[in-house]
Amino acid sequence: MILRFENVSYRYPNVDFWTLRNVDLTIHPGQHVLLAGASGSGKSTLCRSAVGLIPHFHGGELTGRIFVDGLDTRSEPVYRLFSHAGLVFQNPDAQLFNRTVEAELAYGLESLGLPPAEIEARLAWVSSLTGMETYLSRTTHSLSGGEKQRVALGAILALRPRLLLLDEPFTHLDPEGAEMLRAVLRTIQKEEVAVVVAEHRLQEVVADFDRLVILCHGQAVGDGPPREVLAGDVSQYGLNLPSLVRLFRALGWPGNPLTEDEALQELKSQSLPCSALLNMGLSGSPSPVKAVHPGNRNSIVEMKNVWFDYQGSSILRGISLTLRRGECVALVGRNGAGKTTLIKHLNGLLKPKQGTVEVLGRNTLRTPVAELARHVGFAWQNPNDQLFQTTVREEVLTGPRALRAYDPAWCDHLFERFELTPLLERTPFLLSEGQKKRVSFAAALSARPELVVLDEPTAGQDESFRRELGRLISELQTEGKTVLLVTHDLEFAAEHAGRWIALAGGEIAADGPPGTLMANRAVMSRAGLRPTQRFQLFEAIKNSLESEAH
Amino acid sequence: MRAPSLDPRSKLIAAIAAAVLLMAVQHWVPLVVAGSLLGIIALLLRLGRPWLQLLKGLGFPVLSFFAIAWLAFDLVSGMVAGLRLLALGTVFFLFFQTTSPEILANGLIKMGVPYSLAFVLSASMQFVHVLVNRAGNIRDAQRSRGIPLDSGIGWLRHFPALAGPLLIQAFKLADELAEAMEARGFGAPGRRFRHEPHFRWVDWFAVGASILVLIFFFVMK
Repeated sequence: MILRFENVSYRYPNVDFWTLRNVDLTIHPGQHVLLAGASGSGKSTLCRSAVGLIPHFHGGELTGRIFVDGLDTRSEPVYRLFSHAGLVFQNPDAQLFNRTVEAELAYGLESLGLPPAEIEARLAWVSSLTGMETYLSRTTHSLSGGEKQRVALGAILALRPRLLLLDEPFTHLDPEGAEMLRAVLRTIQKEEVAVVVAEHRLQEVVADFDRLVILCHGQAVGDGPPREVLAGDVSQYGLNLPSLVRLFRALGWPGNPLTEDEALQELKSQSLPCSALLNMGLSGSPSPVKAVHPGNRNSIVEMKNVWFDYQGSSILRGISLTLRRGECVALVGRNGAGKTTLIKHLNGLLKPKQGTVEVLGRNTLRTPVAELARHVGFAWQNPNDQLFQTTVREEVLTGPRALRAYDPAWCDHLFERFELTPLLERTPFLLSEGQKKRVSFAAALSARPELVVLDEPTAGQDESFRRELGRLISELQTEGKTVLLVTHDLEFAAEHAGRWIALAGGEIAADGPPGTLMANRAVMSRAGLRPTQRFQLFEAIKNSLESEAH
Repeated sequence: MRAPSLDPRSKLIAAIAAAVLLMAVQHWVPLVVAGSLLGIIALLLRLGRPWLQLLKGLGFPVLSFFAIAWLAFDLVSGMVAGLRLLALGTVFFLFFQTTSPEILANGLIKMGVPYSLAFVLSASMQFVHVLVNRAGNIRDAQRSRGIPLDSGIGWLRHFPALAGPLLIQAFKLADELAEAMEARGFGAPGRRFRHEPHFRWVDWFAVGASILVLIFFFVMK
């Protein structure tokens, strides 16, 4: 046994409710446990409790007992526990506090008082394991989000803990980064290291784990092999179910396939009608994603041969694209492909070095950001970047007032739409992250923009939020608004965007329907993307039907 | 030429001695000589480009000092004030360019400064980049909803839209970083450093020379 929770309950200081409630949990060496649950279910709190940060760092009230590698976390200080159980936090920026990558990796080893030769040996091992050999001497602030996440993981792995905990490690990773992390986890599984991953997005990882624990309101409500747990009624726990499981449930079919092979087996063994499945399409609903005819001249954004340089390198290289009224487009590609730089051209935050960007006929070179902001609404990935007013109401109304586009009836509608009415007089800083996200969406729509840009809208969000977001996108399209999703969440993009634009190295690698892009292996590889599970299943079925026909 | 591998303690003593000398000099000629010597050292250390950037950054304060001292006293005083600021800036530029925050912290700890204080000094230098990035994101987010944070009066008027989120994020970041440090053994007894500073003969020479020059200067004065 490496970790044991004995009837553990916990509440944070100055908080009335218990975040963990009567949790009993035992984890053995080498076990790989996926900890799932909706936002606020207690996943992060459980991880912090397992490494002694609760109660030593956070204080609060802890009842029951927690043992890590036989050590009682209540009586042992954190510095005695950290070599037994290591925690990789969710936000990579908030856990790197040394100047260079190698200093970051060595910090914990220095805390352990290891001799310099042993420190060097561990640095070599961990940098090789995580593929960081080439940037050991780089400063941590110059790294991309994915690289920072890798350093944070390496800094903990270097300690060689017997228990490794990761709090939503996939949130900031692109598909290639996620695959790298999965490969590292598979490698350390062979070394009998127990791993606990707290994660919303089950579909990314669930097939790699031998145990699934579901938390709901601080209680462990499900525990066992993933297929057995998912076979029960888990719909009320706010989980992002694996896409094939959702597909089977939408069709009312039995079975909880986690991989394409398992789904094929279920189809064959139960003689399920493949045609019904193919009719669902990639959107996952009988009514397909609304597609706008390419010939539609009602374009709202025209980018022509746009180039943009930053610190001597070309970030955008000859981008030409059109966004049309009423369509939902997903901008996809690996971290650093130029997605954020591209969307900042849509409201003039960045100006092209060469080429033109026109928004509703206005050249962004000659139009102030404040004017373009009336037509292009942004909901950025981190809603905390915009919160500064004392109430939710003022926060949402700040934009339309600054733009002189305040429409009281429309704003009241938005308050209702995003369930903000009971929160209007509350300070936005004390809301949950999901509520803050809703405030930022309402703020983005408050000036009735024609184009809405959603930057990683599903990152770190649970299933109920994703469903709500899907409905919102559909409503906006019905109203004739254009939605641009910037996302790594290809399952969500395939369900809601009728068109994908794949960026690679600052160029458009492909532009078209998601099915066409995913069928093009060269494009997917160039853009660092992997086809969704649903697409892979459809391809396998089509191939199977074709071979049967022959 | 590589950066000299002096111990951070000897470099710190030499930098303080140089700063005292520069503050004590009252004539513009020795300041020009000192400034030229420091410039040559910067070039020999291949720090020419960043040094030029420093000079560019110091341009406005140097001119301000020069103008104020000239108006308050005379032209020579103005020249001395401006040159002194340039030379002092170059001394500490050379010190920080050749001493990483971690090495400096290790040196300070060897000098008896408590680990927590030395580490906070070095770690705080990392946060500047993170906070500058966040300030950029906040500015973009606010401009995207029509708040004019471009420049000038609009920037001053809407300063709370930038400062509010930045302050809150800075406090939150400090809290999260403290937790991450705790989780990697901050404050653990028996810490050993990967790069232990060692005082060698060249360091004793640098310290001795710094003290001798100081004594010689003040005796001659």
